[in-house]
Order: sequence, then structure tokens, then C-alpha cells
Amino acid sequence: MELLLQLLVSGILVGSIYALVALGWTLIYKSSGVLNLAMGELTLVGAYVCLSLYNNWGVPFPVAVLGSLVMGAILGLLVERLVLRPLIGKPVLTVIMVTVGLSFLLRGLVGLIWGTDTVVFDPPVFPAEPIRIGPLIISPVFLGGFVASLILLAFFVWFFQGTRWGLAMQATADDQMAALSLGVSAKLVYAIAWAIAFMAAGVGGIFLGSINGLNISVGHLGLLVLPAVVLGGLNSVPGAIAGGLIIGVLQNLTGGYLDGFIPGGIKDIFPLAFMAVILLFKPYGLWGWVKIERV
Amino acid sequence: MFRLPAGTYFQSYRQAHSFWPTRFMAFRMIVLLIVLFAVVPFTFSNYALSIANRIGYTILAAMGVQLLIGFTGQLTLGHAAFVAVGAYVSAIFTLTAADNASFSPFWGFLTQTGMAYPLSILLACLIAGLWSVLFGLPSARVKGFGIILTTMAAQFITVDFVIAQYVSQIGGRGHYFSIPPGSLKIGGWALTGDRDAYFLMLILVTGVTVAMINWKRTRPGRAWIAIRDNDIAAEILGVDIVRYKLLAYFAAGMLAGLAGSFWITSLFFVSPEHFVWSNSLWWVGVILIGGVGAVDGTIFGAIFLELMLVLVNSFAVANILFLYFKDIAFGLAVILFLLYEPNGLSYRWWQVKNYFYLWPFSYK
Repeated sequence: MELLLQLLVSGILVGSIYALVALGWTLIYKSSGVLNLAMGELTLVGAYVCLSLYNNWGVPFPVAVLGSLVMGAILGLLVERLVLRPLIGKPVLTVIMVTVGLSFLLRGLVGLIWGTDTVVFDPPVFPAEPIRIGPLIISPVFLGGFVASLILLAFFVWFFQGTRWGLAMQATADDQMAALSLGVSAKLVYAIAWAIAFMAAGVGGIFLGSINGLNISVGHLGLLVLPAVVLGGLNSVPGAIAGGLIIGVLQNLTGGYLDGFIPGGIKDIFPLAFMAVILLFKPYGLWGWVKIERV
Repeated sequence: MFRLPAGTYFQSYRQAHSFWPTRFMAFRMIVLLIVLFAVVPFTFSNYALSIANRIGYTILAAMGVQLLIGFTGQLTLGHAAFVAVGAYVSAIFTLTAADNASFSPFWGFLTQTGMAYPLSILLACLIAGLWSVLFGLPSARVKGFGIILTTMAAQFITVDFVIAQYVSQIGGRGHYFSIPPGSLKIGGWALTGDRDAYFLMLILVTGVTVAMINWKRTRPGRAWIAIRDNDIAAEILGVDIVRYKLLAYFAAGMLAGLAGSFWITSLFFVSPEHFVWSNSLWWVGVILIGGVGAVDGTIFGAIFLELMLVLVNSFAVANILFLYFKDIAFGLAVILFLLYEPNGLSYRWWQVKNYFYLWPFSYK
């Protein structure tokens, strides 16, 4: 029972980081219809920027996170302007593969600039000894990630629901043509969506990278947002958050219970397998819009 | 479609449907085949032949991707999984106890068969095809992004889990099966060097290319293209889309199995690291750069990307940096092609051909 509780809690804590990255993904899809496969590399870029600021320049951690957010926003705007905007309205395959090309480019650049060695935040940001709450043992890194994700999630949801730009994004997501005719600038909406995705992924990467140290394979963890968004239904913001939490919990539960029977990293592939099965029964995810297609 | 040279007309349906409609086309292709079969292997160096083998392997693997994406419209990002299945099946069944003395006794019934290599190719095609159908099943209900994710799931489940953790243990020596030189034979012909592999590659690539071109003109091929263009319309017109989609997955899996079982001739050992996810993405890049839906595009794309790799390799200063330049070059190539040459190299080739066909009366 204690094991179950422990796994659930740490699953929710990690899942909140996935939820944050998944939110960024969903915003892009909702507003511009781009299926982004470069999410793993976006997490890498943000994490490495923060790490360099912190380790090499001696910037305090919160400021380094802020710097990574700013850098993420700039990169997001650049990528949208240079790569994605010329492809608006092109077939799905084209848009997906351009993000794949982007992911290769970013991974290569990250490797070229920062190398392949695993690097850690030095001096450590979070204390190593775990916090004990009753029977539960919680690592401060997870808690920090959880808190930061909650803050950013709240901020992005407020931005999406309460600000002028957020409303413009909602309008574009709902009906692009109508939004355009009412004077909403679709270009601005796409740019904001990409900036937010880069920022969210970067913060996710910072915390995923400070769990076990940062290397290229953190990008692989960033890919876990894909099952999360599919589970939530591609275009639902609450769905993305719930999907991220579910994937985090599932990952921890399988790691805790199934690893003894089927050894060898079932934790990493179970979310994908689970998602493939879910797709068979609910093709539009849990909260996605059911699309009615006509010839 | 192609345009006929100025002054040439079809005079019968038979001619219009023939594989090579004009004598000049037949002549051109036969010359190409003679050069590839009789001149290249005896004049090129071993290094050049090994690059040619790499290109051939890329063509074979990317043909399956072309069939799924270019013909049927089913996006796949997990093709390396099925290539890996082909390579492992072929390796496991060809090797004998003498090749791998450390094989565990429990798996002996599987691993000591010492099956003939051509037979193991057939078996590899069959198993890879069935494995591909298994992961194609969700395509009956979902399309677009869902399919991408199930093929990704196929990649990680097959290569990173089943093969890396379990199948590799059959050999009893950790992560790989070593393939001693001379263990792959076709009849009395031992495939030992790059030149032997080159001939096998050429035969397979020629066969697969002809098959792909002809598949487009058969009943399943037309059904696939109908599904790609508009699946709902195809279903209304009476195409059994689930059956033909699964058939496409089976055919693509078989091509992947063929590619995998060929590739072990050029490897000293089979390891999961040969079939990682970036290979799957690389092959999709091949067909994008070559041209989606064009069989010759697959060949152009493979040649372009592999030669780019050779070029990057020759510029790379240190070994570790090469890895990144490779990624950067591939990413840039894909992005630039999609932005500036979205129809791929085959379209450019088509234009060049037509310019000369219609010269000097190009009315288009």
C-alpha cells in the first residue's frame, strides 16, 4: 500500500512536468495544426541554456530559468518565422517531416555545442536528501519540478483564458477563417504558440535534466509527451494536462510493479504501448474533438 | 506521367501498357544495367563498392517506406523495427552452433538450424511482414497522427525492448550476434566481400524496383493509391480499405525484412544499435528528398543522402564531431528540400527528361 502511494505521488510529480511540455505541444497543434515531433529536442535546448547560464556564468538558478525562458521565446519565434510559416497549408507529411528535420538540426547543434557527456547542475540546485512526509519519500528535485510546472501551467492557462492574445489563440483554434475575418492576426498567434511551446519544453527539460543529470537522452523523455497528448485528445488543454499526469503515473506504476516480471526498461516503452492500445478503442483520445470527415 | 519524345506516338494499348514504352527507354535502362552489373564491380574500389552497398540497403529499406507513405498514405516512423526483425531472423536461422558456440542450450532448437541463407531471407520477409501487420492493425481505426505514434511504438517496443533485452540474449554473449565471414552462402557462392554483397544488392534492388513499379499498376496498387488520395471516397467506391491497408503493411514489412536480411552480409555483427529510431526517420527523409510517391525518387534520395554522408565524413575533423554534422546536414537537407523543392529530386529529373524529349518543340 505504501509502495502504491509512493509510486502514485512520484508519478504525479513527474507527470506534472510532462503535462507542462504537453501543454506547449497542444497549444501549437490547436492554433496552427502542426504536429510537432521536435518536442524532445526543444526540452534539450532549454535545459542546456539554463545549465550553461547556471554553471558557467554563475547566474542564480531562478534567473537562469528565466534566461532559458527568454531564449526559448526567441528561438520559438525564429523557428516559426523561418521554418513553419512558409509551410502553412501544406500536407501533414510535409509539416511533420519539417519538425523531424528541425529535431535532427537541433540535436546536432546541441551535441556540437555542449557535447555528449552527462552534465549536472553544479553546485546542486536541490538538496540531495529526500523530504519525508509520513511514509512518503519525496526527492526535492521532483517537488521543485512540480511547483514550477504548476506555476507555469497556471500562468499559461490564465494567458490562454484571460488575455487578449490568449483569446485570439482560442478564436484561431476554433475557426481560423472566422478569426481572420474578425481581424485576428494568425501569424501572431502561431508565433506566440511556438514561443510558449519552446518555453514550456525548456522548463520541462531543466527539471527532467536535473533528476539524473542532463544528456541527449533527456530528449527521449521529452518524446513521452506524445502519448500524453494523444491520450488527452490532441486539441484539448485540460486533456494534455491530464494525459501528462496519467502517463507519469503509469510510467511509475509499471516501473514499480512490472519491472520485476518483465525486466529491461518496460517503464520507457509502456506509455507508448498503452497509447497504441488506447488508440484502438478511442481514436480521438479522451477529450479530443471527434472529427466528422466528408468526401 | 512521362511525356513521349517529340514525334513518337503509341499505336496500340499493348505499347501504352508496356514496361518500357519506347525502344530508347529500354536501351537506356539496359545500358544502365550492363554498366551496373558488369563494369562497376570490376572497376570500382572496395570502398566505393561498400558505399554502393550502403546506398542499396537504403534503397531497399526506403522502398517499404515509399510503399506505405508514397503509395498508401500511411505515415510510418518505425520502419527500422521491421528491418531489424528481418536482420535478426535471418541471422538467427542462418548461424549454426559452430558459429556461435556460446549459444545457450535452451534456444538451441532455434539457433542451430543452420538454414540456407536464401531460405532465411524468405522467412525473414514473412516474419517481418506479419510483425508489421500487427502494428498496422490500429490503422483500421485511426489515421494521421495516431498511425505515426503506433509506428513509433513499434520502433521502441521492437528494437529497444524485445530485441535489445530478449532476442539479443539468445546468443548468450550480450548484445549482438557476430556473423563470421563465410557463414552466409547462396548455394556454393560464399558472400564474403563487398563485391559479393554488391551483386546480391544489385539483384535485390533491381527486383524490388521492378516490383514496385508494377505494383502501382495492379489492383492492390490502384487501391492503395485510392486510399492515399481520399480514403473515404475509396471506401464508398468499394475498396476494402482495412484489407488493403493491412496488405500494404505486409508488403512494406516484407521489403523491410528483405533489406534487413541483405544488410547482414555487410555487417560483422547484428546489434540493436544498427536499427535505432533515427534510421526510421532517415528513411522517411530519403523518400521526401527523392519525391513522395515516385519509385525512382527513392533511388535518387538514397543516393543523395548517402553521398552527402560520405562528403560529411570526409570533412569531419574528429570522429565524434561527425555524428553531429551528420544530424545537422540531414536536418538541414530535409528542411531545405521541403521549403524549396517540395516535389523532390524525381520531379526535377522528370523536368530535365521532358526538356530533352520535347526539344526543340517544348510547348509546355
